[in-house]
Amino acid sequence: MHRSDIGDPAGQPVFIWLHGWGQDHHALVPLAKLLKRFGRHVLFDLPGFGQTPMLHKGAGTADYADALAKHLKRQNLTLKGPVILIGHSFGCRVSVQMAARHPALVRAVIMIGGAGLKRDRSQMWNLRASSLIILGRLARLSDKILRTSFRQAYTHRFGSADYRNAGDMRDTFVSVVTENLIAEAAATNCPTLLLYGSEDSETPPEIGQKYAALIRNSQYVELEGFGHLDILSRGAHQLEAQIKPFLKEVL
Amino acid sequence: MNKKIVAVIFGGRSVEHDVSILTGLQFLDALDSNRFTGLPIYIDPLGQWWTGSALKKRSLYPVENGQSADLTAVNLDLNAVNMAQPQLLSRSKKLLGEKIDTIPFDIMVPAIHGSNGEDGTLQGLLEFARIPYTGCRLLGAAVTMDKAFTKQTARAADINVLDDLLIDRPIEGVFLDEKNVAKMLKEAMPNSSFPYIVKPVNLGSSVGVSRAGDMDEMIAALLAVFRLDNQAIIEPFVDNLSEYNIAVRMGEDGKAETSAIEQPEREADLLDFKGKYLAGSKAGSPKLDAPSEGMVSLNRVINPDGMTVAQETFIRTTAAKIFDMLALAGSVRIDFLCDSKSGEVWFNEVNTIPGSFAYFLWQDAPNPMSFVELTSHMIDEGFRLSKARLGSTGAAAGGATIFQAG
Repeated sequence: MHRSDIGDPAGQPVFIWLHGWGQDHHALVPLAKLLKRFGRHVLFDLPGFGQTPMLHKGAGTADYADALAKHLKRQNLTLKGPVILIGHSFGCRVSVQMAARHPALVRAVIMIGGAGLKRDRSQMWNLRASSLIILGRLARLSDKILRTSFRQAYTHRFGSADYRNAGDMRDTFVSVVTENLIAEAAATNCPTLLLYGSEDSETPPEIGQKYAALIRNSQYVELEGFGHLDILSRGAHQLEAQIKPFLKEVL
Repeated sequence: MNKKIVAVIFGGRSVEHDVSILTGLQFLDALDSNRFTGLPIYIDPLGQWWTGSALKKRSLYPVENGQSADLTAVNLDLNAVNMAQPQLLSRSKKLLGEKIDTIPFDIMVPAIHGSNGEDGTLQGLLEFARIPYTGCRLLGAAVTMDKAFTKQTARAADINVLDDLLIDRPIEGVFLDEKNVAKMLKEAMPNSSFPYIVKPVNLGSSVGVSRAGDMDEMIAALLAVFRLDNQAIIEPFVDNLSEYNIAVRMGEDGKAETSAIEQPEREADLLDFKGKYLAGSKAGSPKLDAPSEGMVSLNRVINPDGMTVAQETFIRTTAAKIFDMLALAGSVRIDFLCDSKSGEVWFNEVNTIPGSFAYFLWQDAPNPMSFVELTSHMIDEGFRLSKARLGSTGAAAGGATIFQAG
């Protein structure tokens, strides 16, 4: 896995940074720099993003967590003790899986705009979603039997930008967005800080509140005025102000 | 706890209008949300004041003639002297005449760089209206805006500064006389020759600064300055120039505290306005909600290795001395020039409202401070300094009692 290190290479604890979907480690550099004096920071490009090759086709977040655990051990990053996972969005899905599947490796988890739980949707939304699924299947069926190209048009019209741009990662994308990490969150025991932007429309505060109810040892903080992506740039100082006291408590 | 309302004022009638927007928004984004609520106030290039939460979105700018539906035109209420809280006034036309709404706040944060914001004018207005504000008081802000006066003050305190020559803008219809300029240069700086550096006396940043390699360039540079300012300051050009900047603030123990030292990296002879503030953003690139971060994205080395202990000591002690001498406040940035071959260092200038409030220099200071801590420090200090100001009369003074009969 491609990585970039910030801070004292011999420092403790080790922070493992996990970026969001469609991004790479660069997205987390501004925040990591603000926290550099707290230890050693390792920022990964997750498999299939940046400079790290993808895992097998259709790999889910459990596979990502297992691959990460193996990699951390191989790179001696857990030699001096468990690490602190700090993730954004998709990176938080991997963090929750890590905490549930490899608890001995994880000292604490910090989630920023963390994804992984289903949102409450209106009946209208659900109705629309299921009709679209049926429409998509019909398009695929028609393409197969009648050699039409409806599916492509369907994807273009209704697929999300992430779905359209996923390329070889499309199977992973589908498996990731359909999972619901309730059991994994409930199995998480380590101290967890949940940070959500009040204006986040991708992973709204609602998801953070659900995580807070599921994870025993968690703190939930909503940051006024920040969205899903700008929380990492112009919101970095507010994140820093929340993370520092959490680290003092945990370390 | 009741949250204090912090009015951050930015934009303004200044050549540094755009950078000021960034500084203001960065300050708002770094407020301690447990203690403060931010209130953005934008002054457009024509001088009209606006407020509205839409101002916090970077994608709003540039504001076209203020014609955004989400913005409210406001004035500062100068008559609120005896009210519990300072306030803004917004006027709207209603069926039965004019309606005036008030928008209260507790303290104002001047985040305007350069003229009409950093130069003492805004500070004077706020003192007059007894409105608490952050940063330097009137005197420090006004003195440091005048590069020549600041240097004279430093020279009087035995601080190493470059020689200089001041030239006033000729009265209309009179041309700059080359021979006269040459004579003045010889008299003021007998040991120097071309190239020289020419700067406006009263503008912040690097706006209008240029290098003159010969007399033709000198006249051109002076004419460029006189389009912006009434007075030009000419200094010898420092060979092998490297610059060092440091921020200073008042420490908890009442002593001036200095930050990390930065050395801006640059390729050109001189760091012009574009190089300084537009680093990292491409012209014509799409407007994102997180464009170039201004001074933050400028290439720089923090605590550079090349600096000697003696140079560092000079920079730190001089910066602290100037801060005390001019009774500065807030987070000010003090700039130095250095001939990297001879090692000589000169004090250059003071920015009392530096880009991004120089927060990035505090992160790596000997005593580190985060941006959120810095904004809180500036606000607490602003309340304290404004409260400590005496000299106003109260109700007990009566007023005009000498005219009472008897």
